[in-house]
Amino acid sequence: MKLYIVELSSQELVGAIQLWSLITPVNPASTWGPLIFIFAVSASKEAWDDYHRFLSDKIANEKQVWIVKHGIKKHIQAQEIQVGNIVWLRENDEVPCDLVLLVLLIHKVFAMLRLFKCGKKWTHTLQTAALDGETDLKTRVIPSACVGIDLELLHRMKGVLECPVPDKDIRRFDANMRLFPPFIDNDVCSLTIKNTLLQSCYLRNTEWACGASVYTGNQTKLGMSRGIAEPKLTAMDAMIDKLTGAIFVFQIVVVLVLGVAGNVWKDTEARKQWYVQYPAEAPWYELLVIPLRFELLCSIMIPISIKVSLDLVKGLYAKFIEWDVEMIDQETGTASYAANTAISEDLGQVEYILTDKTGTLTDNKMIFRRCCIGSIFYGNENGDALKDAHLLSAITSGSTDVIRFLTVMAIGNTVIPVRSKAGDIVYKAQSQDEEALVIAAAKLNMVFVGKNANLLEIRFNGLTIHCQNGKIILLSKGADESILPYACAGQQTRTITEAVEHYAQLGLRTLCLAWRELEEDEYLEWLVKFKEASSVLVDREWRIAEVCQRLEHDLYILGVTAIEDRLQDGVPETIETLRKAGINFWMLTGDKQNTAIQIALSCNFISPEPKGQLLLIDGKSEEDVSRSLERVLLTMRNTTSEPKDVAFVIDGWALEIAVKHHRKDFVELAILSRTAICCRVTPSQKAQLVEILKSCDYRTLAIGDGGNDVRMIQQADIGVGISGREGLQAARAADYSIGRFRFLKRLILVHGRYSYNRRAFLSQYSFYKSLLICFIQIFFSFISGVSGTSLFNSVSLMAYNVFYTSVPVLVSVIDKDLSETSVMQHPQILFYCQAGRLLNPSTFAGWFGRSLFHAIVVFVITIHAYANEKSEMEELGMVALSGCIWLQAFVVAQETNSFTVLQHLSIWGNLVGFYVINFLFSAIPSSGMYTIMFRLCSQPSYWITMFLIVGAGMGPIFALKYYRYTYRPSKINILQQAERTGGPIVTIGNIETQPRTMEKEVSPLSITQPKNRSPVYEPLLSESPNATRRSFGPGTPLEFFQSQSRLSSSSGYSRNCKDN
Amino acid sequence: MSSGGGGSSEPSGVKKTSKRPKYSRFTQQELPACKPILTPSWVILTFLVAGVVFIPLGVICLFASQGVVEIVDRYDTDCVPESSRANKVAYIQSEGNKMCNRTITVTKTMKHPIYVYYQLENYYQNHRRYVKSRNDAQLRSPREENDVQTCAPEDNVAGHPIVPCGLVAWSLFNDTYQFSRNSEKLPVNKKDISWKSDRDSKFGKNVYPKNFQSGAPIGGGTLDPKKPLSEQEDLIVWMRTAALPIFRKLYGKIETDLNAGDTIMVLLENNYNTYSFNGEKKLVLSTTSWLGGRNDFLGVAYLTVGSICLFLAVTFSVLYLVKPRQLGDPSYLSWNRSPGG
Repeated sequence: MKLYIVELSSQELVGAIQLWSLITPVNPASTWGPLIFIFAVSASKEAWDDYHRFLSDKIANEKQVWIVKHGIKKHIQAQEIQVGNIVWLRENDEVPCDLVLLVLLIHKVFAMLRLFKCGKKWTHTLQTAALDGETDLKTRVIPSACVGIDLELLHRMKGVLECPVPDKDIRRFDANMRLFPPFIDNDVCSLTIKNTLLQSCYLRNTEWACGASVYTGNQTKLGMSRGIAEPKLTAMDAMIDKLTGAIFVFQIVVVLVLGVAGNVWKDTEARKQWYVQYPAEAPWYELLVIPLRFELLCSIMIPISIKVSLDLVKGLYAKFIEWDVEMIDQETGTASYAANTAISEDLGQVEYILTDKTGTLTDNKMIFRRCCIGSIFYGNENGDALKDAHLLSAITSGSTDVIRFLTVMAIGNTVIPVRSKAGDIVYKAQSQDEEALVIAAAKLNMVFVGKNANLLEIRFNGLTIHCQNGKIILLSKGADESILPYACAGQQTRTITEAVEHYAQLGLRTLCLAWRELEEDEYLEWLVKFKEASSVLVDREWRIAEVCQRLEHDLYILGVTAIEDRLQDGVPETIETLRKAGINFWMLTGDKQNTAIQIALSCNFISPEPKGQLLLIDGKSEEDVSRSLERVLLTMRNTTSEPKDVAFVIDGWALEIAVKHHRKDFVELAILSRTAICCRVTPSQKAQLVEILKSCDYRTLAIGDGGNDVRMIQQADIGVGISGREGLQAARAADYSIGRFRFLKRLILVHGRYSYNRRAFLSQYSFYKSLLICFIQIFFSFISGVSGTSLFNSVSLMAYNVFYTSVPVLVSVIDKDLSETSVMQHPQILFYCQAGRLLNPSTFAGWFGRSLFHAIVVFVITIHAYANEKSEMEELGMVALSGCIWLQAFVVAQETNSFTVLQHLSIWGNLVGFYVINFLFSAIPSSGMYTIMFRLCSQPSYWITMFLIVGAGMGPIFALKYYRYTYRPSKINILQQAERTGGPIVTIGNIETQPRTMEKEVSPLSITQPKNRSPVYEPLLSESPNATRRSFGPGTPLEFFQSQSRLSSSSGYSRNCKDN
Repeated sequence: MSSGGGGSSEPSGVKKTSKRPKYSRFTQQELPACKPILTPSWVILTFLVAGVVFIPLGVICLFASQGVVEIVDRYDTDCVPESSRANKVAYIQSEGNKMCNRTITVTKTMKHPIYVYYQLENYYQNHRRYVKSRNDAQLRSPREENDVQTCAPEDNVAGHPIVPCGLVAWSLFNDTYQFSRNSEKLPVNKKDISWKSDRDSKFGKNVYPKNFQSGAPIGGGTLDPKKPLSEQEDLIVWMRTAALPIFRKLYGKIETDLNAGDTIMVLLENNYNTYSFNGEKKLVLSTTSWLGGRNDFLGVAYLTVGSICLFLAVTFSVLYLVKPRQLGDPSYLSWNRSPGG
């Protein structure tokens, strides 16, 4: 609302001018009063927020922490910590700043870590909830150089820490440490994020730890990543800004015209009016006085009260979303949360939804279902390998392959086993897949207790080198395409490929497990290189990845695991309903193409053949992609008129080329296509796609649940986070967080739509009422010698915007044009919101015309009914004002769709309140309007005049509304009629809720159509292809499985794995 | 229909969390609501009722207005001698006798009290410069007599504050009228012609005119410096500024009935200058009704609006009969139609 701020400051200017008594038409209080009121309201709101922020800052800054200086521990305040201080933390302490671990006491639970041979890492764990929103434990280790140092030695320790410039990447910390003698050798020891304790994390599972502070204050990783979220401007805000601008121009024109007219009248007529005593000679600036007076009179044309009203109303919308019991996740008891209160009406205008797959569409509750070991499939009969008798017998008989397979399942991961008090082992994992594998292995008697005593291991996440009886073994798991190419020469991988294919068809996530014995020499040689790579400051991740790659060859493929990730409840229905509402869905996933397509089919994303058609864009080189893109685009253009459900599928690689070299074509494709599946995309590509759609002026909503969706969520017009199993990272960054995907339907169709409708009314009405009173002032100036006299007194002007007219309209916040059921049954009705049919220049012109008409009615009737001996200034002004108030009440009543007790109270109570306030003022002898209201109310002619104003003002508007409502009904009107007369809605409802039975009667229309959303009032949906009924393929099962190989699913993740 | 009281018990199965919202009909936006729809019968009936109410009301208003007897006599030009009509401004500004005789014939019997008004036209009492040029505090209390800064240019004379100050008071209307019927004087009651509230609390009982009309130029009428402002009713009436450029102000009341055919002789003193701005001056004798003076506007307006309502009612009925349309017919929903139809 940038323009709006300008308006506000121009209001301040107006207030300043008004201090000059020569110009002011009324008491300055009438302008200053509302302004001060409004600023007081918003300032006190901000002050309240600031105060709370101050309090929490103070608590954080003054928190006592231990630092170690010269071997002595002492307490200081957190704000006094300086870079280089050594901070001592106990278990469950919050980390005050970013630290590099130096010393730590090993807790007995972690005694098993002693078994680590290489590097002998002492680890402890860290809870990082505040940092990335995830509450799981992360392992942290002390740098190799510091091994063996204890607290007593600490004060003698001297060294140099080289750190990179502060940044906000919480996954990287490429630094070096060099300790001076007498400590070990004078070697450079590389540090990674694993050696750090980041601010706002909590220390767990270790008694104490010591660290050197490296970043403090706002330079910490947390401080850097906090950033100030850019305020999002809704489509409606932009429209209101535009309209405000138009009104502002109108105001200037009015002021100029009246100013000139006033000066002309002054020179020709006023000088003859001796009783006005205009001086014959006047300084030049006198010419400005009249225009400035009109500027003041017209300053109320832009309603300043709109800011307060909208703030209040938007706050309440947000509350409605949070209060909604139908949007509580029954399983976890999580209610929805609206972090951004200002954009709820944008929810009703969404055109594109970009959704993540895993955890968003699916449950992200991984369960190990099937596996293929060697060439034997397990779990195919009953769908659960854990209960497969063959597998169980194979385990008891000790088949080598099966044992090896289970070993990889159990230990080839980053899972942390934690022994609970009852003695059970609970696994803490960052990856849901790994957790599923470990749990499954445990159920198959391969319990991962820690590390077994007879195993010596060196762990580099994805690769696990595993020593047994002096042998070093490489364990590897990953997606088929990252493992199979490195299979040893002799092995037949055809069965494996088939198994992967088979499982993907079932929608299961697959991982290939592999095994290789390493020679001692090879290992040692590699180890040197690895150490080298891991102490590089530049491109360390890449270098490590490269080194690790070298070991991955001649792998013996053990088999394939298949993990089920169930689709969330209600996902297909939600997508179907929202697509009927004209919203386009794009699925952006890091998953592989087959799995993505399977999931897309099963959740109504795309229709199966022959209705649906998938167009593939692929290719490894620029020419391939370009050719493929062109072909798809051609098909897309041709099929726009055909009844076909066309979607395009693109992978991350092709997408990068397409966006880089053929951006124009791709944008056209994006506009033409209502459905797209983008697989193998990185977080930044997700954000890039959002950005492309936004650049075509579409309103986008991004929904996701994981850290890799954060950028997309922040980039989109509306970000929705699912507070799911993958932590709260997405939910934190989002504008709205919901518990389940299916709540999205309610969020958009119910809350978004109502917000849009209500706000459209509220803002246009605010302009209407301000214009009304302004027009009356303008008309009055024509019969007062164009001198800028105000017809209304200061009290009335001040109270008009702040009290008399703002209360009834605030209650429109609970108005409902259609019941929630009707909207859910006819989601197409959302099109009115998407196309902006309720707030656009033409509807605004309607309100403008209405206010002009009402101003004429009030003015003409008042000056004629109160002519001659009754034409007393105060009385006439009050009659005109009452006329306005009466009309307001009826206008609000006419525009209200459902009257609750609150509506009645506010509309009619406000009218009563108007009289009460005026009686009060009429009882004060010193006020200008002393006794006026009592006199008026005792005159029959006053009431007869009011009655006439209401009749003449509302009659034509009521007739027009009726005519439109009956003979030119909008779809909203038809549904209102249907739902309120009761009859036919039931039949439509049945049809709508059972789309599959309608299948054969209705031939579906194409969904690939160019954007068609003219906001003006015209016959709507019949011509608009966006809204035509589509039907969906029969026989799509409600439950499916998906497969995803997580290791290579997102590059961010795999990169992260490598530097472990 | 209470807003918060309708809260029923929590839906079962919700786990207890602090984040759980409170259930009430308001928070769920489920307050019981009345949802009227515009059915043809309802709308036609409304317009019919409106028409049926408005037309009689209009008739009653017209009757009330027609029952008022009103005699208007414009005298501004006629009261200037033929010889001076070329330069009326010079005449009105000259010294000397400006008496003028007018004859009014009563057309219809007028019951007492008969209100005597003077009517000014093209006179902008609502001009901003004029309206603002007064000080209410000064009128109320003698202690505030120096409070004249809003009154410029009629604020003080040679440093002494003018009471009452300002252009409004300064331009006080000063034509006078004397009425006689058949050479018998008709007394004009000039008491209680102003608002009681003004006399009681806006104009002080102990505030006396000071330095009024003592500087140049002289505006309108003068005030008796011996009488407190609360008794200067002509001033009080004048200072209730009119909102329109045509206005009437009460001069007095004649407390006897006038019969049809009576000839009233008016001896008036033509002092007030409306000539420089082509204003008109009229003398008005009028009775009153429950609706006020003679004003056909309300009656005519009611009749017009009433007939429009009836017309709309008839039109909508015809439209309804000729082109019946089922409300809420789902076939009008275009997404329910097949694309071909």
